[in-house]
Amino acid sequence: MAGPERLRDRYAIAGIGLSRYGKVPGVSAMAFCLESSVRAIADCGIARDDIDGVLCLMPAQMGEQHGWASRVAALLGITPRFCATMDMGGATPIGMLQTAVMALDAGFANVVLCTFGTQTNPMGIFPMLFGSPWTIPYGDIGAITFMAHLARRQMHEHGITSLDYAHIAVQWRAHANRNPTAQMGKKTMTVEDHQASRLVAEPLRLFDCCLFTDGGGAFIVTSAERARDLRQTPALVSGLGQVHSSEIIRPWDDGKGGGAEAGAQAYRMAGCGARDISVLQIYDAFTPRVVHDLVAYGFADWGEIGELARTGQLTVGGRLPCNTHGGLLSDGHLSGMNHVVEAVRQVRGTSTTQVPDVQLSMVTGYGGAPHEAPPTVAYTVAILRRP
Amino acid sequence: MFLIEKPLPAITEDGAPYWEYARAHELRVQRCGACGHLRFPPSNVCPKCLAEAAEWVRLSGRGTIYSFIVIHRPQHPAFQEDAPYNVAIVELEEGIRLHANVVDCRNEDLRIGMPVEVVFEQVKDDVVLPKFRPRAG
Repeated sequence: MAGPERLRDRYAIAGIGLSRYGKVPGVSAMAFCLESSVRAIADCGIARDDIDGVLCLMPAQMGEQHGWASRVAALLGITPRFCATMDMGGATPIGMLQTAVMALDAGFANVVLCTFGTQTNPMGIFPMLFGSPWTIPYGDIGAITFMAHLARRQMHEHGITSLDYAHIAVQWRAHANRNPTAQMGKKTMTVEDHQASRLVAEPLRLFDCCLFTDGGGAFIVTSAERARDLRQTPALVSGLGQVHSSEIIRPWDDGKGGGAEAGAQAYRMAGCGARDISVLQIYDAFTPRVVHDLVAYGFADWGEIGELARTGQLTVGGRLPCNTHGGLLSDGHLSGMNHVVEAVRQVRGTSTTQVPDVQLSMVTGYGGAPHEAPPTVAYTVAILRRP
Repeated sequence: MFLIEKPLPAITEDGAPYWEYARAHELRVQRCGACGHLRFPPSNVCPKCLAEAAEWVRLSGRGTIYSFIVIHRPQHPAFQEDAPYNVAIVELEEGIRLHANVVDCRNEDLRIGMPVEVVFEQVKDDVVLPKFRPRAG
């Protein structure tokens, strides 16, 4: 096999770590990178000096950060022979996983650390406006506006309602309430709470939106053989997919756009289909993203979404348990590092909302620059397998 | 008293003619000199055929609302006094989609598919923003 199928199950996520996260003022993004990295190293028991590759997600909120990954490596006492800072927004955690697998398979590294940290109040650094010269002067600023348009089109074309979004947000919150580290772990949410939450960018309400989170995450990728000798059950990397879609080239994404192609790549590499997936972590920066991924990756038709969310099909015992840690909506916004970590926990059997007998654990990423001109959207998908 | 002003368009070489034409109350975009593709956002390279040559052609200014949102919590303090205000994606007859405010229309009257036409709003001495208003279908 010449394609990526030949890499199926040959590499694995061996170690995972999250730093403290939530409202944690005064701690730098770098400190969160280091804290989560040390926890990932301890989790799998790898020798620090065996790490020879380092990848980082660029902390976008802080603007351009020169040599970020190199600085992380230096502060961890690592002199890597492969090191890069990646900038795909919320698609980056899975993008780092894919890049790590490529570097490992090419022999440019043996053990790759992937990490990210963010501080929502980065002292002394002026936050950047998300938007382009074609949107900012109109007050069309931030990540939310594109998502509000996505919601408007889902409602217009497919009859999705704010109540459908409410049931998703409430299910995720119930998962967070079982997760002792979740940012919203102690706060419950009802459908009525969601519907009473204030409008932010109509049709989206406050409880359709992810959290602002300070914190970091890390994972360690190496060969399946090497991972087997470490402390934890390896999460074998079975499938990977990635596509970067632009509105210049494609029509406005209707849920079957670029994401469907990334999913098809990952299913082909893993040799499986949507029906084989045991549990799914969706990049849920806003509730319409959940609907999008359920449709784009072949888990549901538009007409089924409301019922799936309303009748408990998206939790343990249902058709497809999703976002079992609480997601960006209720666990915390670690740009999807927490989604990769949760997908690994499901493989290991250590989630606080554990799905029984997990074979394939899937995770999606979403990023790029939807708020720029032209809007570009990065979709990433990973499928992890229990050995 | 510290006054926060609304951000104005960041003007670069490839985008400058768009704003110059807007000052003259004309909506123009580039048409590729090689393949005829209409470019938006402005660029020095055609995304269809990679040719650089282009001429600025005038658009009808007519279109329909493809999507609209109403912003209640602006991400920039200077827009606070306008909230709740709308931002629409307008699909022009020529196929290009622009993000802009729809004026002369209550937010609750906005509909997908609503016919609109361009209007030009002077926001500074030397800056004009193309916006849209309802038109008879």
